[in-house]
Amino acid sequence: MTRDRHGSAVIEYPSALEILTTREFDAPIGLVFDVLTKPEHVRHWFAPFEDTMTVCSIDLRVGGKYHMVFVTSDGTECSFRGTYLEIEAPTRIVDTWLFEGWPGADAVETVELQESGGVTKVTMNLAFRDQAGRDHMTRTDGQEDSWDKMEDYLGSLVDASRPIG
Amino acid sequence: MSISEYVGVMARASTTSDVFNAVADVHRRQILDVLITGERAVGAIVDELSLSQPQVSKHLRVLSEVGLVSNRAEGRRRLYRLQPEQLAPLHDWVTTYERAISDRMDRMDDYLTDLQRQGDGSDA
Repeated sequence: MTRDRHGSAVIEYPSALEILTTREFDAPIGLVFDVLTKPEHVRHWFAPFEDTMTVCSIDLRVGGKYHMVFVTSDGTECSFRGTYLEIEAPTRIVDTWLFEGWPGADAVETVELQESGGVTKVTMNLAFRDQAGRDHMTRTDGQEDSWDKMEDYLGSLVDASRPIG
Repeated sequence: MSISEYVGVMARASTTSDVFNAVADVHRRQILDVLITGERAVGAIVDELSLSQPQVSKHLRVLSEVGLVSNRAEGRRRLYRLQPEQLAPLHDWVTTYERAISDRMDRMDDYLTDLQRQGDGSDA
C-alpha cells in the first residue's frame, strides 16, 4: 500500500538565485526518468490541465533542445525551452531553462534521481544566472551566440561552486 | 491553485523580471544588505563593501530604476534607503511558483501511479 504523497514536494532556496525541489515517487528510477523525459509521458503532467499542452518537443541528447508550451483557459501561452547539457540516464539531466514570458531569467536546471527500495527521489535545482556572470559571458563570447561556448560556460557554472552572496 | 493565479503571476512577469534582474547581481544584493540596516550615503556604501564609487553609483541607479531604493538629499549628501515593498512581487512570484511546482509533481505522481497500475513497467 503506497502512501499518498500529494503536497510532499519540498522547495528550498540554497542561495538567492537557486530553487531546489525535492520529491519522492513510488516508482522505479527507470520509469521516473522516462516519465520526466519522454514527450508521450510529459504531456500528461507538465501542464496544469493536460489537454492544453500544445507543444511538447524533446530531443534528449547533449546539445538537443526541448520546447514545452501550454495554453491557459484564457488563451495565454506559457512557453519553456532549453538545451540539454548533460544526460546520464537514469540518474542525471542538466539543461538550460528559460520561461519565454520572462526573458531575463534564464537558468541552468539540474535534475538528479536516486532509487532506494522502490522509491525514487528526484531533486531539481534551478540556478538562475548571475547578472555579472551573464555580462561576462556576453563580453567573452565575441561575435555570435555560440552554443558551444554557452555549454562550456554553463557547464562550469554547474560544476564549480558559485560565489553567490 | 487556480490556473488564473498561475497566469496572473506569469503575466506580471515583465515587471517582476525587472526586479529579479536587479537582484540577480551579487554586488547589488550586497548593497541591499547594507541598506537593510538603514539609510546610507554612497561613500558609506563604498567603504562598507570595498567596491569603487562608480560601481556603487551604477548599481544604485539600477536599483532606483526598479524602485528597490529611493534617495533624499541631506545637505550636500544623498542618502539611499531600501524600499522593501518592491520585493513583494518577487515574493508573490515565489509563492505561486512553489504551488505550481508542487501541483506539477502531484500530477506526475498520479500519472506514475496510473502507468504502474496499467502494468507498463519500467524501461517502456
